[in-house]
Amino acid sequence: MGEARDPITFELFKNAIFSIADEMALTIVRTSYSGVIKDNMDFSTAFCDANGKLVAQGLTLPGHLGSIPTALEAVMRRYGADMQPGDVFTLNDPFEGGMHLPDIFVFRPIYAEGRRVAFSATVCHHTDVGGRVPGSNASDSTEIYQEGLRIPPMKLYAAGVRNETLFSLIERNVRLPVRVFGDLRAQLAACHIAEGQFLELVARYGADETEAMMREVIDYAERLTRAALRDLPDGTYSFEDFLDDDGIELGKPIRLFVTLHKKGDGIVADWTGTSPQVKGAINNTLSFTKAASYTAIRSVLPEGIPNNEGVFRAIEVKAPPGTIANAVLPAACAARGLTGLRMTDCCFGALAMMLPDRVFAASDGGATCITIGGYYADRKPFIYADFTSGTWGGRPWADGLEGNAHIFANLASHSVEITEAEQPIQILGYEFMADRGGPGKYRGGAPFYREYRFMEGEAILQVRSDRRYRRCFGLYGGWPGRPSMNTVNPGTEDRILPSKFTTMIKRDDIFRHEIAGPGGWGDPLEREPARVLRDVRNELVTPEAAQRDYGVVIDTAAWVVDELATRRERERRLAGRKAVPAMAVVWDEASVLGLAAE
Amino acid sequence: MDGRAGSSFRVGVDIGGTFTDIVLMSDDGALHTKKIASSVDDYARAIAEGLAETFAETGLGSDDVAEIRHGTTVGSNAILERKGARTGLIGTKGFRDILDIRTLRMPRLYDLRWEKPAPLVERYLRVTVDERIDAQGRVQRPLDPSEAEAAVRRLLQEKVEAIAICLLNSFTNAAHERIIRDIVARMAPGLTVCSSFEVLPEIKEYERTSTTVINAYLKPVVHRYLRSLRDNLDKSKINAPVLLMQSNGGLTTDRAAAELPIHIVESGPAGGVIGSQVLARAMGLGHVISFDMGGTTAKASLIEAGEVTRVHECEVGGGVIVGSRLLTGAGYTLKVPAIDLAEVGAGGGSLLWLDAGGSLRVGPRSAGASPGPVCYDQGGKEPTITDANVLLGYINPGYLVGGGLRLNADKAREAVREKIAKPMGLSVEHAAHGAHQIAAANMIRAIKSVSTERGRDPRQYTMMAFGGNGPLFAAGMAESLGIKRIVVPPVPGLFSSFGLLCAEVEHHYSRTFRRLLKQVDLAELNAAWNHMADEARRQLTDEGFIGDAQRIGRTASLHYQGQTYELNVPVPDGPIDQAAVATIAEAFGREHERTYGHRAGPEEPVELITILVTGHGLSRRARLPEQTRPSRAEGARQPARKAYFGAKVEWLETPVLRRSELDAMPRQGPMIIEEYDATCVVPPTARASLDSRGNIVIEV
Repeated sequence: MGEARDPITFELFKNAIFSIADEMALTIVRTSYSGVIKDNMDFSTAFCDANGKLVAQGLTLPGHLGSIPTALEAVMRRYGADMQPGDVFTLNDPFEGGMHLPDIFVFRPIYAEGRRVAFSATVCHHTDVGGRVPGSNASDSTEIYQEGLRIPPMKLYAAGVRNETLFSLIERNVRLPVRVFGDLRAQLAACHIAEGQFLELVARYGADETEAMMREVIDYAERLTRAALRDLPDGTYSFEDFLDDDGIELGKPIRLFVTLHKKGDGIVADWTGTSPQVKGAINNTLSFTKAASYTAIRSVLPEGIPNNEGVFRAIEVKAPPGTIANAVLPAACAARGLTGLRMTDCCFGALAMMLPDRVFAASDGGATCITIGGYYADRKPFIYADFTSGTWGGRPWADGLEGNAHIFANLASHSVEITEAEQPIQILGYEFMADRGGPGKYRGGAPFYREYRFMEGEAILQVRSDRRYRRCFGLYGGWPGRPSMNTVNPGTEDRILPSKFTTMIKRDDIFRHEIAGPGGWGDPLEREPARVLRDVRNELVTPEAAQRDYGVVIDTAAWVVDELATRRERERRLAGRKAVPAMAVVWDEASVLGLAAE
Repeated sequence: MDGRAGSSFRVGVDIGGTFTDIVLMSDDGALHTKKIASSVDDYARAIAEGLAETFAETGLGSDDVAEIRHGTTVGSNAILERKGARTGLIGTKGFRDILDIRTLRMPRLYDLRWEKPAPLVERYLRVTVDERIDAQGRVQRPLDPSEAEAAVRRLLQEKVEAIAICLLNSFTNAAHERIIRDIVARMAPGLTVCSSFEVLPEIKEYERTSTTVINAYLKPVVHRYLRSLRDNLDKSKINAPVLLMQSNGGLTTDRAAAELPIHIVESGPAGGVIGSQVLARAMGLGHVISFDMGGTTAKASLIEAGEVTRVHECEVGGGVIVGSRLLTGAGYTLKVPAIDLAEVGAGGGSLLWLDAGGSLRVGPRSAGASPGPVCYDQGGKEPTITDANVLLGYINPGYLVGGGLRLNADKAREAVREKIAKPMGLSVEHAAHGAHQIAAANMIRAIKSVSTERGRDPRQYTMMAFGGNGPLFAAGMAESLGIKRIVVPPVPGLFSSFGLLCAEVEHHYSRTFRRLLKQVDLAELNAAWNHMADEARRQLTDEGFIGDAQRIGRTASLHYQGQTYELNVPVPDGPIDQAAVATIAEAFGREHERTYGHRAGPEEPVELITILVTGHGLSRRARLPEQTRPSRAEGARQPARKAYFGAKVEWLETPVLRRSELDAMPRQGPMIIEEYDATCVVPPTARASLDSRGNIVIEV
């Protein structure tokens, strides 16, 4: 402890300030209007000091880590000298503090003892901010101007007076103003509640001591982060991965490349070498690239480190402007979620080189987005949007989870029955698939498919998916998973479509999406036969694959492992493999098997 | 039902992991209490034994018992320990994994080690049949009975003890579920079978499947338990009826509980909340926070305008996670009405520890019953909250459970010094007091999560403090929350059992209706509501509640079209006409404004999603006598001792009182009030008095 302060008082203060951030989050859950916020938890709340440094972030979306200071910096640049009690600031422009247009920030400076002492901050993903496609989430826009209303840092309230100009401008430019204003009100309510509670703390401790303790909360997080980083091995670790394409220039892979420099108690994540920005709307702002990097690195640090500026001080993130990791005007970025998820996985890949026994193989890649939109016979519009991801790569100590959100975006799925009741869509299947997760000592989780039947006249089907051409990698002898797949009218027309596409569908057309199988971890021949038996019994692995991939022979009449045949099978395979060096990253099982054949 | 005529005692039995608490109360307020060790192999045995001991102590006999009211954790334990029935599940083709995929959401962030709770039915015991009902309830693909038979046969070959059935959209048309249910009954007479249209006829396939599966999983276990309880009581010649506490705070009969055990899963903590509610009403208090702190967890709940607050869905078996209200997915989803409780892992046994950054933390890990706190001298090495309280002078080392348990204060002091005070560079009492405050802060978060986080201001509430440790922490916490008044009821350590004696019989029914409110077919709506009300009346009549003793209440859940969450509002009695529809619409608008701070214009379409009915069976006995008179004699008078009240005042000579030594005249703290089952600490800044009902009232 830097100053002679009672450690108990500090602990109580820390508790109080994080409980304010969480309470802000609950206020938003309680008062917001739209499902994106409630079901997908696509929002964040935070508390910052007078200079805009993050002190406490609510427990919500990892993808927003680091976004709030960036946005607040933009506000300070414009209004640092023009700020007074009763002001409320807002913005959404990715090129001045924001991330993508649907994410609208709201900040409120807090004053005590005659000076600014803090900011309360929120960011929410709004249902619609205008632009050419309902939901403002299209992946096939090619410039920001197509994506909706751009709000630079502005005063939503000036000294308590509502900015009618801005409100009416928003009202005329979004499709569902009632909902957007309802959610904005939730953000204002959260900031307001935070102010009240924070002022109680100031009343108890005084402004000077409160500010000193906020600094100490940041220092405390930095100490914890640096202590944890010091325990990690020094060195330079790189990882390369590719997105299938941007959906505009089909078949042109997009390179993601990260280098981690770990030295002493600090770490740098450098995205130099990552692809130039692309035409499709999957470009990241630097703040989103930071969030992806923080999320991966935080996941290998011990739990209990508060989310604040202290963490960011120890983790530096770099990305050259003009790349997909740090896009500049006029890049489109509405659908950048995909890139964030995949950068998280890429960063995990580099961490796996540093910490072989602490990191999982590639997850399904995440953020498949399926949109079906059109008009009923009476010209009323409908729009259905389904974001889905759901299975983890094998871990050095356990199988990958299946039917579980990606670590970067903890979103929930919609109920099938609600979808069928509200949309002209019937869901025909939503189930795990066998033999799709990468085999391994610990296998990748089973991915699922979803099958939709369209029940109206016609509609536009837009799909943003990935991991079709570049599969989910396995680690340390684990195999990659099977690719994702998009099919229209499976079993009849059987039209196979690329990973990103827009097409017209008609009544009774069926669309099937299969998410990618995640990678496995470790040599499948080392998997305990009892686990393979259990997988076969549960029909997540077929008896044929048990023998082919794992060298395990199952007697499916008695439900036992044929021990003798299994031993023979495994010995035979191992004998053919003696010269093979252990491969850290496995992109293709042929490379493992090919070497084995030598 | 009013129990056996002529008998005058109601018995409340609350079973916890370590202790079984028994309270007997007569209509005129005589109160006998008993605390005995739980019989973990068969919980029912301790009940019979405890009653026998109480009879011996009081001279009462089995004929004096009018009825037995029971709160039990048998359901939640079976889930927590995965000891339910071997259950099979039959679903719709293409949807075998609803139970496993859940909502995808996880309760932890940045945690590569997270493991989902394993589904209660493993995949090979989940089978599907090729059938389809559409969203409007039309049969799109008829069920082939021979395929259903094959599915049932497959599960029977796997030797399942129970079968759950949940088909897609069955809440709109249960025909296929009925066919399968009848096939099971024919092929395996006597086997437990639960179909979702009977358990929870509501939209959302995951919630319905999960709830139906939990019911099937628990049914054989709860059935066995209730039979054992009856057998044990019969042996003791007690033939009074048994009523069970439900998660929603109402009582149900043992027969109904055996049929729908999902309603008694969170039975344990409900008694204390209902006790608080009834006591609060009797005292004329509208807004109360009930605060219950025992050995491992603390629970908080809100009573508003005399009513307990409820949620319509909860998670069970996920353990206690601070802050879990934001992030769901830790446990198993159960869609039944339950008292809205916030629970934190903070109790007397919570461990004190230092994190990597050198910060002092309390819980959620607990020393449990074994080895227990260091001062119990049973091999515990890690200091706990109880150790801190002993060395601060709050707990009398010679007086716990009326002197039944002697504590080693030196060992407690040594452990806190070595593990906490020394590394932090603090004096031992400063460290212990810090731990006490941090535990209080953790519990304050629980209270905030049911109050401020729902837009309620705790300063307008009275705190009802009970449980073995509740009265010890209450005053300090109230101060931080701005609460002015605390009530510590008689026998606070057994208040949950006492609360059982205050509850009424209550049954809940719900059904998805899902129509635009403006376009609702009134005849259809009335028919649906009447059908449910009839069901409620039949159940109450069955239980002996006739005529005036039946009360039927109706509510509806609605939202604006496009919203994901509903709000529940009361519905006027009598047939629903256009005026009643307008009343419902207005009630919804008002509730939306109250909860969300705004309401949409009258043109915004409102959807009626769920219709609900509650059947109350009103007892003719007073729920709470004017006066309660505990029969247990108070312990010997204890000398004053030094207790530590923070760095400003440090050690103060603190009188130790018995409850009976307080009177209506408020007395300035500090003081400690010691009782058989709890210790109450009144800090120097507070004043305590005794009201006419024997409650300790602390003004902060």
